[in-house]
Amino acid sequence: MPVYFLEIIVVALGLLMLMVDAFAKIEDKRSIAWIGMVGLLIVFGLLFAVNWPESTDGAFWQFYSANDQISLFYKGIAVITTIIVLIMAVDFRHIVVAQTADPEKGAHPQSGLGEFFALPVFACAGLMLMASANNLVSIFVSLETVTITFYILVTYLRRNVGSLEAGVKYLILGALSTGFLVYGFAWLFGITGSMQLSEIASSLANPEFNSAAALFAFALILVALAFKVGGAPFHFWIPDVYQGAPTPITAFLSVGSKAAGFIIFLRLIGPFLASDVLAEKVCLVLAIIAGITLIMGNLAAMPQKNFKRLLAYSSVAHAGFLLVALASAPTKSSAGSLSPAVVVTFYLGAYLLMTLLAFLVVTTVRNSIAGEEIDSYKGLAKRSPFLAFTLIIAMASLAGIPLTAGFYGKLFVFKIAADQGNWTLLIIGLIGAASGFYYYLKIAVPVFFATASDKDSGEEISSIPVSAPARAAMVVLTVAIIAAGVNPNLIIMLFS
Amino acid sequence: MDSALTLDHFLILSGLLFVIGLAGVLVRRNLIIIFMCLELMLSAANLTLVAFSRFNVQEGQPNYEGHVLLFFIITVAAAEVAVGLAIIVALFRSRETTDVGKLNTMRN
Repeated sequence: MPVYFLEIIVVALGLLMLMVDAFAKIEDKRSIAWIGMVGLLIVFGLLFAVNWPESTDGAFWQFYSANDQISLFYKGIAVITTIIVLIMAVDFRHIVVAQTADPEKGAHPQSGLGEFFALPVFACAGLMLMASANNLVSIFVSLETVTITFYILVTYLRRNVGSLEAGVKYLILGALSTGFLVYGFAWLFGITGSMQLSEIASSLANPEFNSAAALFAFALILVALAFKVGGAPFHFWIPDVYQGAPTPITAFLSVGSKAAGFIIFLRLIGPFLASDVLAEKVCLVLAIIAGITLIMGNLAAMPQKNFKRLLAYSSVAHAGFLLVALASAPTKSSAGSLSPAVVVTFYLGAYLLMTLLAFLVVTTVRNSIAGEEIDSYKGLAKRSPFLAFTLIIAMASLAGIPLTAGFYGKLFVFKIAADQGNWTLLIIGLIGAASGFYYYLKIAVPVFFATASDKDSGEEISSIPVSAPARAAMVVLTVAIIAAGVNPNLIIMLFS
Repeated sequence: MDSALTLDHFLILSGLLFVIGLAGVLVRRNLIIIFMCLELMLSAANLTLVAFSRFNVQEGQPNYEGHVLLFFIITVAAAEVAVGLAIIVALFRSRETTDVGKLNTMRN
C-alpha cells in the first residue's frame, strides 16, 4: 500500500464520522467515537504495512517526502495521540454536552458531541501530512489544517468563559505566528527561488550567498515556530490556552502540536545548517532561545497550584530540552555519535507516553472531583490506588527518574549537548531537571500523605470510577514508559 | 525602457504593510481590528511572493511556484476568517466585549 493512502484513509474516516453524526439516527453518540478509535487502530496497523515507491518522479512527490522512517514514526505519534484523545473525549462527554447542547425542543440531547469526536481525526490527518511535508507549500497547508482545527476545538465549550477566552487567545496568537511564517517563507522563496526544501538547502549552501537576507528569513520562521512549540519568549499563550481548553484538547495540543512543530523545526533548520556561514549563527540563536525557555518554563512551573497550568509550564520546560538538542547540531569540527533528529524523536516519543498518561488521569479524576487544583487531589491514593500509581509513574517520567522513559530522553539531550561542548546549556538543563523533581513530585504529597479527607464526610472517600478504555490505555502507557526506561532501544528501533 | 518599478519597491511596500499589521496587532485593543491587521500581515506576505515570482525569471517565464503558495494562503486566510469571526461572535455573546484587555479571568 502506498504511504500516502494513510492520510486519505484518515480524512475519509473523519468524513464518515461526520456523516454518521448527521444522518444516522443514533441514541448514544459515543458510537461515533468508537468508529474513530477502531478506524485509527487499523491505520496504526497499516503503518507497518506501507511500501515505498520505486520512483519518486512526478509532481506529487515534490510535496511529500519518500522513504523516510522518521516520518512514519511521527505519523504513529499522531495516530496514537488521537486515539487516546478520543478515549479522553468519551470520558469528558458530560461536560461537553452541558456546555454545548442545543436547548431547543426536538434537538438531540447530545447535539454537538459528534463533531467533538470527528474534529480530532481531521487534525490527525493534518499532523500525519505534516510529518511527510518536504515543501514550503505542503508544510504551510498541513500546519494550517491542524491549527484551524485546534481553534475550533479549544473554543468548543461555547458557554464556558474560560474556553472562549482560551480560544480567542489561541486564535490571535496562532494567526500572528502564521503571518510570521508565511512572510518568512516568502523571503526564503525569494532568495532561493524554490519551494523545495532540498533545493533550498543546495542554494543556501552556496558560500557566495546573501547571508543577511537568509538570516532575516530564518528569524521570521524561528519566531513562528517558537510560537508553535512554546519556546520562550513566545510561550506566554500556553498557560492560559492549556488551562481554558477542554482537557482532552489540552492533551492533544501539548503532544500532537508539539510533535508536529518539532518535525517541521527539524526539516526547516536543515537547509540553514547545511550552509557553513549560517550554521554557527543559527545554532547560537537556538541555544539562546533554548536557555531562556528552560529557565522560564521551570521557574514558572514551581509555584503553580492548578494541575493543568503546571502541565502547561512543564510542556514549555520540555520544549526547552528539545531545543537544546536542536541547538546542538553537529558541525564539521565536532562530529558526535547522536544526531539531533534521533534525540528529538526519542524525546518526543517518551514525552507522548508520559504526558498522555498524566492527562488521562486528570480527565478521569475530573469526572469525580470538580476542579483541577492540586489540592483537590488530596487522598487520591485512598480513593483509587490505581490512579495514584499511574499518576506517580507519569510524574516520575516527566521529572526524569531512572527506569522511566523520561530519564533516557533527558540523558540523550545532555549527552548531545556535552558532545557539542554546549556547557552553559548543559548546566541550565541540569538545574532545570533538578527543579523538575520538586514541582512534579510535590503532587505526591496531597495524593499519598494528605489528611484532609479524614475531616470530611464519608462520601469524600468514595472510590473514583475508571472507564474500561481509559484503564486499558493507562496500563499500556505505564508498561511502555517502564519498558522504554529499562531498554530505550525499544523506541529507537521504531524509527531507525 | 525606463522601468521605474524594481523589486526593491515591492519589498519596501510589503515590508511596510507587514510592520503596520504587526503594530496594529500589538497596539490595538479591539478584536475585530486586530483580526484585520492579521489579514494585512498575510497580504504583505502575498505581495512579497508575487514580487519575487515576477522578478525571478527563469527561461523568460516568471517563477510561478510563488503563486501556488499565494493561492493556498488566500484559501487558508478565508478559512481562518470564517472560524475566527465565529469565535469572536461567540465571545461577544457571552462577555459582551471585544476588548482583549478584558480577557483576563484565568490569571489569578
